[in-house]
This record gives sequence, C-alpha cells and structure tokens, in this order.
Amino acid sequence: MTTYASPIGSSLKRVDGPGKISGLEKYAADYYPDNFLWAGAKRSDHPHALIKEIDISPVRNLPGIFAVLTHEDIKGANRVGVPEMDQPVLADRKVRYKGDPVVLVLAENKTVLQEAIDKIVIKYEPLPAVFDPEAALAENAPLLHENRNDKNLLLGGRVVRGNSIAAMSECDAVAEADFQLPWQEHAYLETEAGVARVDEEGILAIIASTQTPWRDRNELAYALGWPLDKIRVIAPYLGGGFGGKDGITVQGLLGLAALHSGGRPVKMWNSREESFLSSTKRHPGRVHYELGCKKDGTLYAMNCRIVLDTGAYASLGGPVLALAMEHAAGVYRIPHALIEGFSVYTNNPVGGAFRGFGAPQVLAGLEQMMDILADKIAWDPLAFRLKNAVMRGDETGAGVWMSNSTAIIPCLEKLQEHPLWTSRQAWVSQAPPFKLRGVGIAAGLQGTGYGPMVADIANAKIELLPDGRFRIYSGVADMGQGNNPTNVQIAAEVLGQTADCFELIQPDTLQTLPSGSSAASRTTYSYGNALKAAALQLKERILTRACNMGMGLYAEDFLLSSGRLNHLPSGREIPLGLVAASMRPEERVSIYSYTAPVNRYPDKINPDIRAAGFPHRVFAFACHLARVQIDELTGEVEISDYLAATDAGKVLNPQLYEQQVQGGAVQGMGYALWEDFKLDRGELMTRNLATYILPTSMDVPDILSIAVESVEESGPFGMKGIGEIVINLALPAIANGIARAVGQHIFKSPLTAEQLLLILEKRAAE
Amino acid sequence: MSQVFLPHTLEELWTIKQENPAALIMAGGTDLLVKIRDRKLPPAVILALENIAELRQIERQDGEICIGSMVTHQQLLDSPIIQTQLPVLHQAVAVLGSPPIRHMGTIGGNICTASPAGDTLPPLYVLNAGLELKNAATSRLLPIQDFIQGPGQTLLGSNEILYKIRISIPAPHSQGFYFKVGQRKALAIAICSMASLLQFAEDKRILEGRFAWGSTGPTVMRFPEVENTLIGEKLSPIILGRLGQSMAALVSPISDVRASAEYRRLLASKLPLKIWQSLI
Repeated sequence: MTTYASPIGSSLKRVDGPGKISGLEKYAADYYPDNFLWAGAKRSDHPHALIKEIDISPVRNLPGIFAVLTHEDIKGANRVGVPEMDQPVLADRKVRYKGDPVVLVLAENKTVLQEAIDKIVIKYEPLPAVFDPEAALAENAPLLHENRNDKNLLLGGRVVRGNSIAAMSECDAVAEADFQLPWQEHAYLETEAGVARVDEEGILAIIASTQTPWRDRNELAYALGWPLDKIRVIAPYLGGGFGGKDGITVQGLLGLAALHSGGRPVKMWNSREESFLSSTKRHPGRVHYELGCKKDGTLYAMNCRIVLDTGAYASLGGPVLALAMEHAAGVYRIPHALIEGFSVYTNNPVGGAFRGFGAPQVLAGLEQMMDILADKIAWDPLAFRLKNAVMRGDETGAGVWMSNSTAIIPCLEKLQEHPLWTSRQAWVSQAPPFKLRGVGIAAGLQGTGYGPMVADIANAKIELLPDGRFRIYSGVADMGQGNNPTNVQIAAEVLGQTADCFELIQPDTLQTLPSGSSAASRTTYSYGNALKAAALQLKERILTRACNMGMGLYAEDFLLSSGRLNHLPSGREIPLGLVAASMRPEERVSIYSYTAPVNRYPDKINPDIRAAGFPHRVFAFACHLARVQIDELTGEVEISDYLAATDAGKVLNPQLYEQQVQGGAVQGMGYALWEDFKLDRGELMTRNLATYILPTSMDVPDILSIAVESVEESGPFGMKGIGEIVINLALPAIANGIARAVGQHIFKSPLTAEQLLLILEKRAAE
Repeated sequence: MSQVFLPHTLEELWTIKQENPAALIMAGGTDLLVKIRDRKLPPAVILALENIAELRQIERQDGEICIGSMVTHQQLLDSPIIQTQLPVLHQAVAVLGSPPIRHMGTIGGNICTASPAGDTLPPLYVLNAGLELKNAATSRLLPIQDFIQGPGQTLLGSNEILYKIRISIPAPHSQGFYFKVGQRKALAIAICSMASLLQFAEDKRILEGRFAWGSTGPTVMRFPEVENTLIGEKLSPIILGRLGQSMAALVSPISDVRASAEYRRLLASKLPLKIWQSLI
C-alpha cells in the first residue's frame, strides 16, 4: 500500500495502471461476445452524388452473410449529430463525402464481410462538389444540405468591440498576415470500436469507445427510433479520444446492426484506414489577422477573419468556431477588435472536436502576429506579451472577462527568468555549420467547460459498500487522461481513505449518472466538483450515523480513515462495515449535481455565436518556449529544447499533470511540423500511419514542465482543466523559432522540411 | 492465408517450392505481409525462409564478408564485423525502420523488394556487392546493380532464392557515409538517401569516390563519370557542393505523397555536403 501525507497533490499511482498493463482491463475493442457477427459499412467513393440504386443481389445469397441493411431499414430519423442533427447513419438520398456509409453488412467473419462489401453495387449520379470553404460560400456553389437558409454556411457571426477599422489607422505599427491551418487526425491508439446486442427484454446495450455515453443514447433513440429507456450505453476506458469520439462514431451502425441481428451480438472495429476515412478531424482553416499597436507597445486594434472547413456534416463545427472566435484575441487586452467567423460545409471529411477545439487554429495565427508586430516596433517578444497580457478583472480583445484565476503573467515571468530564454542568444550564435537556430515563444489560454451552449452539469454518485469500502460511479468517460483514477484521489482526500478502499465503475447509462462528455477540459473540473460534494455528504452521513448508533455524542469527535472510524475522546475504533451495516442501501449512496458557472453578457456578440458556447468563465493559461535547429541541407527541423509553463490551477496529481503537458505538447509538435493530412478533391492521400506522419519518441525532445499554480476558487481543490491548453502553443512557438532562424515567417502549416528547404533555397537565390 | 511452410533446409525448400510453384517466398515479411494486408497481393501459400540456419550467418572469409540473405537488420547492427569493416552498411541499418522492423526485416528481403528507398541498397551499391543466387541445381553471382532492374523488379528466377551477399572489404583508408532524409527520424521511408565510400591516399587526396542515391529514380543510382571527377581532389565544401549539383542534374525523382520531385532533387544536390557537416 502506498503511504502518503495527502492524496491531493501527490503522484498517487493510477488505480487503472495494473489492469491496463496486464491486459485484464477491457477496452471496447477487446469485447468478443459469444456467437457475435461482424458488422461493416460499404462507403461512398464519391464526394458528392445522388444514390440512384443500391444493388445487393450479388451478396444476398453469399454464405456467411447474415443481413444487408440500407437506410430503408432504419425506423427512426436516421440523423445523428449535436447540436445540428444532419448526419445520416446510412446515407439515404445522397452522399456528401468520400467515406459516407451507404450499406451495412452483417457477416459471420471478416473475410466474407469484406467480400460482400466489395461485391455490393451502388449506382451514383455524381453532383458538382466543393472542396474549398471560400468557394462553398459563393453564390452558385453546390449545396451540401439543400434546405438550409444559410446554404453552406453552418455558422457565421462576429464580435465587435470599439471601432477597429478606425483604430487601426491610429496605430503606429500594423502587421497583417493570412494563415493556413491543416486538418489534423486524432490518431488514437484504439480505433473506433464497440459491440452491441438487443436482449430478451428489448434493451439495446452498446459497449463503445465513446466520450459521450449519455448524448449517444439520446441521439441513437432519435436516429434509430428505439425507445430511450431501452438503450444502454457503456463506456469502458478508451484507448485515446482527443475529441474524435466526442459523439457518434460506430454507435449508430452498431445499434442498427443489433436491431437486425436476431438477438445475436454484433461487433465493429475500424481498421486504421477506415478510421482515417470516416472519423472527424481538426478543422482546417484560414485565419486572417491584422494587428496594430502604439509605439509604446500597447496593442490597440485587431481585425480577425476565421474560415473553418467543417466538411460534409455539422458535427461540432459551430461550437468549434465559437471557441475559435472567443480565443482569437488570446491573452491580450485590445480595446478595438472585430472578429468574424465562418464555419462552412464542403465535400471534405467531417471537421469535429479535437483537443483545443478551435483555439489551436487562432492562437497559431495570433501568436505569430505578436512576434511580427514586436519586431516592427523593435520590442522583445516576451516583453511585448507581458505589456499586453491580461490580469484578473481584465477583458480580452474578444470581449471575454477574466473573472476567475488568471496567471498568464506569472507563466510569462517563469519563461523570462528561465535559462532556456536568458541564454538564447549564446545558443543561437553557437549553431554548428549548415544549421540555423532560433528560439520562439507563444502564450495562450483555453476555456474550461461548455460555456453557455448547454448546461455543464455533472452528477456524481458514490456508495459506501456493506464491507466498508467505497464505490465511485464515474459519470464521465476516461479516454486515457486519468480522470477516473483522479476521482479516487478526490474521494480519498475527502473521506480520509487510501486508494485501495475504492472501486470504480466506468460510465454506464444504467448504473452511473449523466455527467456530460469527456471534453472541454471539464472532466475533473465538473465531475470532481460534484464528487467532492457527494463524498462530503456521505462523510457527514457516516459520522451522523455513528452518533445515531450511540458510538459518540458529536460527529466532530470522529476521525474517518481507511476502513474505520476512530472515536477520539474514547479511543474506540469502529470498522466502517459496522456503520454500513446499520444503513439502508439508499442511505449508503450519495449523489450530488454540480453545474459549472458561465459568464453571461450578451451585447457584444450575436446570439448564434453565444448559443454555440461563447464565452467561458474559467480559463487555463500557458506559455511555451521552443528552441529549434534547422538543417540547411535538408530543411529538417529539430526541436532541441522545449519548455511549458502552465496555469491550470492547483495540481491534483503532478504525474498526471505532466503527462498531459507532455502528450499535448507532442501532439502540438505533430501539428506544427509533421502531420500533413493530404486530400485531393475529397480523396484521402494520407490513408494511414505510414503516410500520415506522427512524431516518434526520436523526433521530440525532453519537455520541461513548470506548473504555475493559481488557485481557482470554483474548481475542486483549486484546479482547472489541463487537457487542452497543453496543445495550443507548440505550433506558434515552433513557428516563431523557425522564423527567427530563417528570417521570415511561414504562414502555411505544417512547417514541413520540404517547405522549409524550398524557402531556404529561394532565399539563397535572391 | 491458406498455408505457411517453414522449411529447415534448402533441400526441403526446393521440394516444397516444386510442389507449390505459386508459393510466395517470404524473408522477414515486413513488406510482403503489408502487401497482402493491403490486398496488393493475393493471400497465397507462403514459404518462409526463417528457419534455414545457413541463411542467417555473417562470415568473414579472407578479404570478403558473406552475409546470408536471412540476416536481420538487427543482426547487422549488432555485428562487430559489420560495424568495423562495413560502417557504411552499419550506418544505414541504424536508421532503418524501427526496432521491431529491424528484428523482423532481413537484408535479403530488402534487396529482393527492390524499392529505390530500401535503406541497405545504396550502401550495397557503393560496396559493389555481389549477390549469390541459388536454385535446386546451381548458383550464380550477379552484381547488385545488374540484379535490380526497377522498382520491385529483379532478375530473381521463379525457382531461385537470394542465398548470400558477398562484399569485398573496402581498401584501407576508406571511409563510409550514409545519409537519409525521411519524414521523421524513425519509422521513415527515405525521401532521398545517399551512401558514399571514399578511399583516401596518404596525403588525404581522394583515390576513389563512390556515391549511390536512393529514392531519386526507379532504382538506386550511381554515376561513375561524376564520381571520377573527385579523383585527386581533397574534400571541401566546394567540391562536395559541385558534386551534388552534377548529381542533381542526373537523378530522375518522382513526386508522391511523401515528397515532391523538386524537393528530392534539391536534397540530392545537398546530401554530399552532409559528409562535410559530419566531419567537422
């Protein structure tokens, strides 16, 4: 047993570790129920086409084929998605991207499944397609969804503060640039997977790799026309999610299959190629900035135009845009600002939630603008940021109040005094032959929670078991970040227990309570708040019951510790099991509902944007530094050193915190340098991990993490979300370092070696 | 996949092959199995060579090193003979794939796959490696550059296997170099690679310089007429830069999902300077 002074603040061993390492813990992909059928989809090979005919006759009598299903077999609305339900489970009238599922096959094994998928013939009438969001906004562009008033515009809106057009002309220095941001693939280890079955009582039970078990249940009931109370969704530990499982992936197809399998279980597990083809991506986009300041270094005006490509279906393309707009002025006070945003349908793969949720795109642009503008007025880039950074009580240029803990200035100061920053000139001047060196920084923020889109509610449940141990019913899926092990830590702190006094139930709509998604940097913040209160309530109940039982006069005379109560005045020790035995089952269960706070101030933004989640109240902050070395002979970039200073409030578990910093920074490095998702007229060119290049351990440096621990008064034990802020700044920090090394900014990312060498060659020729 | 044969001797191998003429010969499987998974090859009968002990030896005989075709990249990496006598090959296997691939993949498989991006190929070209091919009745010896005809195309007969790779130990005062540009530092396919073997005289002038380029044409490429311009020169950034310029005009790269032809050509012109970068 691990001994520790206090669970909160210690690197308590993850309770999920042994099960995962030994392989005993089952992920959704690990389930192989008896007598199961494989399900798989035949997908569209057209980016935009009418379905003229689906011919399943070549496979109807194929041995091993159990069922072949089309949209005609769906009893419900055949639409999933949130907030806009526009995505068919199986395409009905037309297909909107290369990868849209059209036919679902159930087969005895994978070989015959593939054979059937190959043999089914779908006749299409191709329609004009559109692959560029700007072109999709044009008057005569082909329409993805015909009946929308806004045509291909999923969501548009603006934030206006002061008069940025007039103010720009009053600036002493103005910089302008247009940034191109790429798709990013989540590339989680566990591709989309699950099993489903309808039991004798008509309960459709789905075990799926999902971040959103409760939302899935609602969507499935609507799409498949099956009663909500007859759907059960279970979310085991996920093998990664990053936002890619924030909503329906295979669940719709699985549910449909289970409704047509004669009671047999069905299983789906996407290959990596099918995952690339069918999953959501980080929204690619164009971000145009104009940023102006006074000669004393004060930021004065900003114009920003954001265009995101949301692909064929809405997914979370509206909320992602709203969040991009909210973060578009970063951590700076800017009195005059105009932020325009457009989230646009195209015949490309679907853009959806991805760690950072719109913030990485805008911060990539803004933080390079800060360097460009600092250079124009000959300011040190770090001093320039410090001069304009927000403090608590300030408003950002996007009109977002910093109403809660705000420690971006301490983050910047940590960087300013760090040797990696102070010794940068010497390091740059010592570059070896044929190498160029540069040091870049970037600062930013990330909202915690949903904002005013839907209420951010978590319902915690904890039970004192008859044997005196405790069971936590985790309401939020754990996609690997460790929020559910952290639940043990929180309850252990409140109840004075050691970790081995707990068992954990993973999210299950039958057993645990609706607590929202594993998303928005809100898992531990929202559920932790609820669990802390539920545990406190249970503790009070236990102490009171001990008094009830005549074991003492006052609740405060009892000390609750591992498995027991100590009555301090008498020195008596009472096993918790004894107290539990005196309680009725319903008394042993404590539930608590927590709603995260949001800021409401309606005047500066239009209602559509607000409804998509603008603004947040609680923010995490960070400042990253990258030392980069470019090989002049190949264009290859080496990140020599990397430092992240993060304010995510108090640290509950230093090891999990650092794990997030490292994982997020590396995923951000991939976004910055290597992950070049290529499409050619809607057709995937980078189909798998052989051509879509993720960084390996050989490609990334050691990452130094400094925790700047503000105390967030609204968070459990002073914490706020760490999950997303960690990814936002690698691209701009690295890009700024490269710009200092090369002598020019590069506006198209990723900053591949090829792009760099061609630029270096061009500069040499000039 | 219907059947996998794992013969222990060459005699067994010939018999099985005779009875299953369509069987696919598998060395390490790191290319073959991927092709079958991608349905670029049918799921055929597989004839795996991994249990044939005589194909797994690295031997030094007089001035020659013989490497069995089933020697894995990891064996090459761990071999003191390769490290000390054939450093150019050693450098190449150090950056080939990843540890799992190096433990499965073999030098013979790398040669017979005949990808212009194969990491062992440029070193074997500059080493003037000879390939001993065997069938049930006879054996023959072919220089590697004659054996490989194009991407995936070799002169391997349908009843033949690659038996051994024979390499003369480079002359004293030789130095080998291998440089590879991939899309990342590990698990990367070469976008452009270059092997070089330089033999120096006492006064540091170049007696012989050999250069082979990978991923810049249908096969690994050497240009003796350009190599000859180095004879009698001393190494300098100027002559290496000039050599690169000449080479870049001769290579014939293609554009694909990994890199454009323009980038590959540019890399071909720059890679000789890597020699200078590595020496100072």
